[in-house]
Amino acid sequence: MALLEIRDLTVEIATPEGPVAILESLDLTLESGRSLGLVGESGCGKSMTALAVMGLLPKAARAHGTIRLGGQDLLALPEEALCRLRGRRMAMIFQEPMTALNPVKPIGQQVAESLRQHLGLARADAEARAAKLLDRVGLPQARFPLGLFPHQLSGGQRQRVLIAAAMACGPDLLIADEPTTALDVTIQAQVLDLIAELVESEGLALLLITHDLGVVAEMADDVAVMYSGRIVEAGPATALFRQMAHPYARGLFAAMPQAPGSGEEGGTRLATIPGRVPNPAERPAGCAFAPRCPHRLPGCAFEPPIEHLADAHWVRCLAPRRGAPAP
Amino acid sequence: MAIKVGLAAALAESGKSRAFVIGGAISGFFLSIALLALVWTPHSVFQMAIREKLQGPSWSHLLGTDHFGRDLLSMLMVGASNSIGVAVVAVAVGLAFGVPLGALAAAKRGWIDEVVMRFNDFAFAFPALLSAVMITAVFGPGGVNSIIAIGIFNIPVFARVTRGGALSLWQREYVLAARVAGKGTTRITIEHILPNIASLLIVQGTIQFALGILAEAGLSYLGLGTQPPLPSWGKMLAEAQTMLFLAPQLAILPGLAIVLSVLGLNLLGDGLRDLLDPRLRRAR
Repeated sequence: MALLEIRDLTVEIATPEGPVAILESLDLTLESGRSLGLVGESGCGKSMTALAVMGLLPKAARAHGTIRLGGQDLLALPEEALCRLRGRRMAMIFQEPMTALNPVKPIGQQVAESLRQHLGLARADAEARAAKLLDRVGLPQARFPLGLFPHQLSGGQRQRVLIAAAMACGPDLLIADEPTTALDVTIQAQVLDLIAELVESEGLALLLITHDLGVVAEMADDVAVMYSGRIVEAGPATALFRQMAHPYARGLFAAMPQAPGSGEEGGTRLATIPGRVPNPAERPAGCAFAPRCPHRLPGCAFEPPIEHLADAHWVRCLAPRRGAPAP
Repeated sequence: MAIKVGLAAALAESGKSRAFVIGGAISGFFLSIALLALVWTPHSVFQMAIREKLQGPSWSHLLGTDHFGRDLLSMLMVGASNSIGVAVVAVAVGLAFGVPLGALAAAKRGWIDEVVMRFNDFAFAFPALLSAVMITAVFGPGGVNSIIAIGIFNIPVFARVTRGGALSLWQREYVLAARVAGKGTTRITIEHILPNIASLLIVQGTIQFALGILAEAGLSYLGLGTQPPLPSWGKMLAEAQTMLFLAPQLAILPGLAIVLSVLGLNLLGDGLRDLLDPRLRRAR
């Protein structure tokens, strides 16, 4: 049985004009010890998926479907039971390490808190564990005592503190929501290496949310590409990167900057996908990507079919690979 | 313990804040006088000696005597303990009811928020001192009733400050991070919201403390607060005004006590705010 199983998840937000679906019949599966990259532009529902798993959707949102963590249906659980799971079995780290730490509390206390809450450790024990955890994420006590305040640390160091806090109770599932977006490029690699190392050694399942395909290529075993509240292409990372089928996935791939000498000619303009993700309330009928798609067909105004390309690699497109270079 | 470093650093830096030092010294001076007055005064404030009335400063009466021959220094000391006692309890009442109400409103939102805030508006709609006069007029003048009257009008002040501060904090990412770590509303309020608005509450607390002293003096001046024969600063002012040209020190001294204590408290509040906020500490 998979650790995390999302089946037919739909999240609707009540608006004065009626409910608007921001996630539509989402299916995701994540096994222990594996990592799943969830890719897409801002506003396509990646973070909403994470919040739905954590049970922290905004009050106006309603979720249908099932989200199972180790066989337990999270959507059916009452708030108190979810509180016991959050931080204990599933943890999350955020995009902005500058604001995700409480500015008036020393870092040691912030790491120790969930140990005290979930494992019932005494203050001294929890602090000793916190010191070990910080050491583990590359913040040795000699230079980074527990009494430091967040403002005394750099962005990368703060992200390490948050990772230590997330890992404190030995969760089964780690959700990383754009964990490196706010960091310098050189620090990004270090933080990603740290996460990869922890996933490896602790046997965690990692749900990595990002818009950076480079990060996904490096970190993820499986990839799901989201567009406007739906998964448009999913599969094992190797298969997907060998041949991207959905025009949106290819567009994202083409929009990655290439380093000089990487085979691409320097001086070419960075490719973009014209337009932007539609507001969920004004999503077009049929394929939501059609208005921005360079290869659209008249049939795209209807619900796109799902085509299975190889085992576990599928795409939601009327004419996948149309206009794509041959593999 | 390593975690105490923050507090220790704040105390170590306290000497650098001039507002904290001066305000703390003045407030500490009045507080120690008030405490001393509970156990000892140079003379009894209830003992009249008409033959010694309206004397100037002397070795037996350091600040002179009033029109009943009572020792002015002793009266000011007892007045200090009166004023501070009333203000402390009034602020405590405001904190004890206002902070939970404001925190609840911010955490729950919805109709609970509406009810709490409309109740607040209702209480705010009446001028506080006027309502205090009304309450003491209805329930009878006296120390306890003036404490209740002043305290009740501290509740909406603290509720509003707490709610305002808490509302903006609930939007912060570290509160989301705390929820992700499995903390419930109550726990987040205690562990994350309250420590972050502590500086707001301390500043508001010292302002309300100073206003409490003023309100007590005002009520006593009107004869609705502390009742004779117990002396209070407000009552001393009221009695002195008929003799303003005969013995101006009778009005000047309690007036000075009120001004200095209020000033000291305000300075202390500012100093404390600077010291307790790690972000401001970094900026210096």
